[in-house]
Amino acid sequence: MSATTDNYEHLVNAEYEHGFVTEIESDTLPPGLNEQVIRTISTRKQEPALMTEWRLAAYRHWCEMPAPNWAAIQHPPIDFQAISYFSAPKQTPKLNSLDEVDPRLLDTYNKLGIPLEEQKVLANVAVDAVFDSVSVATTFRSKLAEVGVIFCSISEAIRDHTELVMRYLGTIVPPSDNFYAALNAAVFTDGTFVYIPKHTRCPMELSTYFRINAAKTGQFERTLIIADEGSYVSYLEGCTAPQRDENQLHAAVVELIAMDDATIKYSTVQNWYPGDENGRGGIYNFVTKRGECRGARSKISWTQVETGSAITWKYPSCILRGDDAIGEFYSVAVTRGCQQADTGTKMIHLGRNTRSTIVSKGISAQRGQQSYRGLVRIAAKAEQARNHTQCDSLLIGDRCAAHTFPYIEVKNPTARMEHEATTSKISADQLFYCQSRGLSEEDAVSMIVNGFCKQVFNELPMEFAVEAQKLLSISLEGAVG
Amino acid sequence: MMTSVSNSNASIHAMPNTWLSAAPNQLAGNHMTDIKQARSVALKQVLERGLPTVKNEGWRYTSLRSLLAQNFICTPSDDVLTVNEEAHTAIETALQPALETYRVVLINGRYAPQWSYLENLPSGVQIDSLNAVLNQSPARLAAVFTQIADTAHYPFTALNIASCDDGLVILIDDGVTLERPIELLHVSTGSLNQSVTPPMMHPHHCIQLGTGAQAQLIERFVSIENAGVYCTNAVLEIALSPRAVLRHARLQLESLNAFHITGLHLQQAIGSDYSGINIGIGGAWSRTDLITRFIGEQAHCEQRGLYLVGDQQIMDYHLDIAHQVPNCSSQEQFKGILYGQGKAVFDGRILVAANAQQTDANMTNNNLLLSRNAEIDTKPQLEIYADDVKCSHGTTVGQLDPDMLFYLQSRGLTRSQARQMLSLGFAADVLTTLAPEQLHEQVINQIERRLETATF
Amino acid sequence: MLSIKGLRANVGDKEILHGLDLEIGAGEIHAIMGPNGSGKSTLAHVLSGRDGYTVTAGSAELNGVNLLALEPEQRAHLGLFLAFQYPVELPGVNNTYFLKAALNAIRRARGESEYDAVAFMRLMKEKLRVLHLDESLLKRPVNFGFSGGEKKRNEIFQMALLEPKLAILDETDSGLDIDALRIVADGVNACRSPERSMMVVTHYQRLLDYIQPDYVHVLAHGQIIRSGGKELALELEERGYGWIEQVTEVAA
Repeated sequence: MSATTDNYEHLVNAEYEHGFVTEIESDTLPPGLNEQVIRTISTRKQEPALMTEWRLAAYRHWCEMPAPNWAAIQHPPIDFQAISYFSAPKQTPKLNSLDEVDPRLLDTYNKLGIPLEEQKVLANVAVDAVFDSVSVATTFRSKLAEVGVIFCSISEAIRDHTELVMRYLGTIVPPSDNFYAALNAAVFTDGTFVYIPKHTRCPMELSTYFRINAAKTGQFERTLIIADEGSYVSYLEGCTAPQRDENQLHAAVVELIAMDDATIKYSTVQNWYPGDENGRGGIYNFVTKRGECRGARSKISWTQVETGSAITWKYPSCILRGDDAIGEFYSVAVTRGCQQADTGTKMIHLGRNTRSTIVSKGISAQRGQQSYRGLVRIAAKAEQARNHTQCDSLLIGDRCAAHTFPYIEVKNPTARMEHEATTSKISADQLFYCQSRGLSEEDAVSMIVNGFCKQVFNELPMEFAVEAQKLLSISLEGAVG
Repeated sequence: MMTSVSNSNASIHAMPNTWLSAAPNQLAGNHMTDIKQARSVALKQVLERGLPTVKNEGWRYTSLRSLLAQNFICTPSDDVLTVNEEAHTAIETALQPALETYRVVLINGRYAPQWSYLENLPSGVQIDSLNAVLNQSPARLAAVFTQIADTAHYPFTALNIASCDDGLVILIDDGVTLERPIELLHVSTGSLNQSVTPPMMHPHHCIQLGTGAQAQLIERFVSIENAGVYCTNAVLEIALSPRAVLRHARLQLESLNAFHITGLHLQQAIGSDYSGINIGIGGAWSRTDLITRFIGEQAHCEQRGLYLVGDQQIMDYHLDIAHQVPNCSSQEQFKGILYGQGKAVFDGRILVAANAQQTDANMTNNNLLLSRNAEIDTKPQLEIYADDVKCSHGTTVGQLDPDMLFYLQSRGLTRSQARQMLSLGFAADVLTTLAPEQLHEQVINQIERRLETATF
Repeated sequence: MLSIKGLRANVGDKEILHGLDLEIGAGEIHAIMGPNGSGKSTLAHVLSGRDGYTVTAGSAELNGVNLLALEPEQRAHLGLFLAFQYPVELPGVNNTYFLKAALNAIRRARGESEYDAVAFMRLMKEKLRVLHLDESLLKRPVNFGFSGGEKKRNEIFQMALLEPKLAILDETDSGLDIDALRIVADGVNACRSPERSMMVVTHYQRLLDYIQPDYVHVLAHGQIIRSGGKELALELEERGYGWIEQVTEVAA
């Protein structure tokens, strides 16, 4: 507890820690979206013609689609012509080692505490860092290559592993899936590609840090992870953005594929700029994340800690196609200030003996608005499928809101599903008990909230769990009372 | 869920004209300007907005197609429903079991005094037909009729208000406790003449309990044996004054040819107490909306339900419990038993508005799937804008435990007996709240009979 | 009464009973003892017809009728009764209702007349009195919220009521303290009769202090490796199962 208290001390007034802007010359396309912009992006990224056509098809589809309006979120209409769809730090070409990266960029990552450098060798984390739209550096690539793991930016993967990428890209989240997925397919500029070969346990945690830096840019990264038979990978994703008055759009797509006996563990700590206390500025985080447990006994586990963004709209989902496949979703989401989050998951049970677990912990403070929206579908052929869902909401203050919208569809009589949801506030008794043992109100709240989230933090890799707890404390700073 | 909603024109069905009254000017109470006005507002709403399709969130699991496929007619010529000798006997049977009650019988949505019993009503209690009250003393319903029902969000309620002409009125004065239950029996025959299009009825009931008044209402929907196709589109408007207490049992026991829609709009003032139990067993296609609005603090609402769905039935229960003021409590418990090709939908929403502190609300929905082709879609929702609340919901879908089945078989019961016994055991905690005893027995017998003849 | 010959049974692909022979005569009490995992409960479950076991060879007859081909309820109709080690809870199922349905199902199968409500209540009350059980038991759901001791007493109560020809008591002593054990044993002894046989499955000798068996059999690795009188139980208590397995191996 004392460590947390120390964090409080030096974090007082540090509302959004990562709100600085890095002065780097960027190569940015003028705002606007049309077929020419898409061709330009594709050309800049030296993509095969096949890819250019794929993007254009997605763009044409997007033009036909209305923006979704079913989520419990409110924002002014987004002017998609006012966004710049490509921004790259200027001297990107041909980076051979970290020494060649702009020192100011490295400095930025250091400020963010990103494990790019030497110290992190010990932490055994391989990092792909995406700055605005472009993947800047991928560490440990050679070491990973020794065991056959491909870990690179998706742009490189499209160039160097075209056949492999095109076989899977868009098969889990088709470009026509939804409005933002279509937009992403048309304009995505970078992201991460991971391939784990058969019977390989990825020797280290893989990690990507995303940062939006340039003004008026959108970020549209795309991640594709393929875990071949019997393989294992744990992937971490962290996100930050500078403090700006206007809203910036982040519309990412993540696709995961797990073959027979493969396991993918995907962890996110999302701390995009949430806007100021009056709701000015902040990131619109409209993300489509979906994994398919294609093989028998495969497993996909999503863990997310969502503390940032003005608006979060994301539903990391699992299609449990293989027999005995397992899907998991563990989430902590915090909304404070004027933040809005509509988040949850979909568990689609298709195979026999498929199991899924959903644990969602929502914390709303101040004027924060939050909804859990989830779907559990047990198809007619999913014999003996099991689901357990637990959704808990904690309310702090009388102007916040927490909603639960679960959809449960069962078409198989051998299914067993249980769904529980509770909404409550921190009880005066709990607070009094802690305070009577000498804790300040803020420490007491922090302790109770951490306890509330424990089940989810336990799913995070160790370093991330520490970071997540710290983030949670910062997020709730000043939100109490 | 993730697909976007297309434009509003594509997501409605047009309202079939024949479902509306053919003689709107002659409807009860239309000599009063305000009543006529309220009816025309409702009519406008349902005509302009149309009927929902599955693209409408509240109807995503329940399609109106089978309803629309029937050419229901709201105002059939009198001879269609003239009760002949044969139907007379059938009605007598449908009235069983005879209960010690004040009884109002509606035959095909029309008040039938010859079967009703309203003698010796204590003073301070008025029970009458809606048609009579609207025509003779409409002022008595000024606070209830069209005042509580939400026509903007419930198209079938709007349709009912635009076309209703009869139903039940219960008005109980302040401080009066009515010991003997009131019974409301909907007996339907369907079209007795095969060549004629089936009827759609719009019974409308207004119930107002004064301050501290107490009453018990038993509402049953039954069909005569060999009833034809028909549709009941019932609306209840219930206003509970401060500290009023209403116990309300609703039994939907209609034939498998019946279509059934209910919109129950309940408004509760300070300290009032409502407890309802909803039994759904009959009908080919049914949709029930139970809507509660708290307008005073310290009020309590309980809604319980049991649905038994098989034989290609579709049964849909929607609950909308709006805690708009502080310090109220609500408890919702629904259980479902599904077999055959039955499909059930449960959609329950607890809304806690921004200032509704100290709300205590709990919703549970448990489902038992007994066979291969049954389907359950359940959607318990919490929508909460206040922090000092205790709200929860729990949902389960499961099947009979093989260990339990084996235990019963090892004691000599057949598999079918064991299944019946365990299914009734599953439903027991809901059914115990059903009184009087004869009703309880009637429901249990019906469940047993249904499960005995069911295919699994 | 009961005749088991060369019985082999699997759980999944694993054989648990490796050719078991046992004869129980009318009015006899046989104790089946053995270490954990020896197949005691499997034997009880196979005889009563629980799912999940496959009989691969051998036979089991009750008064000349092949049990193994029958549904569980048909075995009950023939007079087989299993007192469960872990009786399941049946929430919402009233005990009286359950017992009346069970007893009448058995009587019907035997061609006897069914009890009406009054006669049935009289019978139940009489059995309760004999077993010193409280009438409140009748109003509660079957086993629901019962303590471990109450569940076992309820099993014995059912046995008294259903009057089986062969009762199998599966680890009836497990989880009971000495007082509860005595009450249960008294109940069992009250059910003894020259027409009723019992198979008492237990891990410990102490139950046999209260229920005196005519024969004791030791089950190990899915076979009866030794049979004897009640003194065999005492010897086991003193020297443990390791001893008897050793002795048997040497003999083999």
